[in-house]
Amino acid sequence: MKLVRKLKVKNRLGLHTRPAAAIVKLLQPFKSSVSFTCRSETINARSIMSILMLAAKKNTQLTVTIEGEDAAIAMEKLTAAFEAEFGEG
Amino acid sequence: MYLVQHFYDQHGKSLGLDLVTGESGLSKRISKAEVHRPGLSLAGYLKGFMSARILVIGNQEVEYLRELEPTVATTRLRAILTPTTPAVIVARGCRPSKELIALCEKGEIPLFRARLMATNLLSRITFLLLEEFSPSVTLHGTLVEVFGVGVLIKGESSVGKSEAALGLIERGHRLISDDIVRVKKKEDSNLIGSGPELTRHLMEIRGIGIINVAHLYGAVCVRPDKTLDLVVNLEEWDDRHFYDRVGLEEKSIDVLGISVPYHLLPVKPGRDVVLLLETIALNHRLKKMGYHSAKEFNAKLLEVIARKQKKGTSYEVGA
Repeated sequence: MKLVRKLKVKNRLGLHTRPAAAIVKLLQPFKSSVSFTCRSETINARSIMSILMLAAKKNTQLTVTIEGEDAAIAMEKLTAAFEAEFGEG
Repeated sequence: MYLVQHFYDQHGKSLGLDLVTGESGLSKRISKAEVHRPGLSLAGYLKGFMSARILVIGNQEVEYLRELEPTVATTRLRAILTPTTPAVIVARGCRPSKELIALCEKGEIPLFRARLMATNLLSRITFLLLEEFSPSVTLHGTLVEVFGVGVLIKGESSVGKSEAALGLIERGHRLISDDIVRVKKKEDSNLIGSGPELTRHLMEIRGIGIINVAHLYGAVCVRPDKTLDLVVNLEEWDDRHFYDRVGLEEKSIDVLGISVPYHLLPVKPGRDVVLLLETIALNHRLKKMGYHSAKEFNAKLLEVIARKQKKGTSYEVGA
């Protein structure tokens, strides 16, 4: 199964180290491959350094692509985390 | 899309460019990595003239235009200053003629003045544009220089790429980039890998966190870029998979249309990945020097077998 969804970075400081670590931690139990696309750059969302390289600021749109058997749950969890501003609200 | 504005921002200072007029044309697109010195075209010969190139006007052109009747000069200039002309640069700090300034202003073509000589400008701008227009790709992996060989370590997350790279750095090899490698194709035959500016020389090691290798191990352990000479894919040892045991067969993978030697390296406890990576790099160097261990051995073996066979037949005939 392949899911593509656009998610917006909502927290004030953007995707800095803590949210990046939160994303990687959240994705760890899932088997699907997860990638973020931002300004024609596609990166592996399981790698902290790659997420940090994007230096995504508040209100940046990320195209999230999840492919694999547990894509649906992973997308749900990830969307919730983005919505909750990674607990930084 | 690469605009004149980008070019001016990035290289304006180093090339010593001063904007004379046509500021509104800075949003023009540079679509070709070519620069043109319009000698013949200015003389009126326009066959094969390509308008999408940056024009560099040298001393000779300036003198030539000066000697022409002003009306003729304007007609000739108008012919080469088309709507697709990205920019015009006057070399050697020469003052652009009134006609040139007026046409550029009207046509919204950025007009620059540069101190450098025209030939110098041509070569430098061509080089910079080729660099900008070269195809590139972002790969997931860690690029290290091992004994002068650029090795891209690939593999699933958590297979130990960063740890292997750290081990190599500790042994005196160099890190170019961890996790994300931008590869550019140069001159159609050469692949150059580098890391993104922001995360350069940083590594993420599980259980430790983010470390700066240049600070920890010193400037000698890092490099900004390196040719991509071979790719090693680290993989958890799989008993069902048959791994290469002799090395006669050479595998390669395609990166931007160039085939790069490829090795699949299984990892399991007790296998010293750092040592194995060093060996692969050294073996690659040896092959480049013209010695292929597996092939040389096989040739020798075939010779020995052939000799035995000969002896064997003569013995049989004798008996």
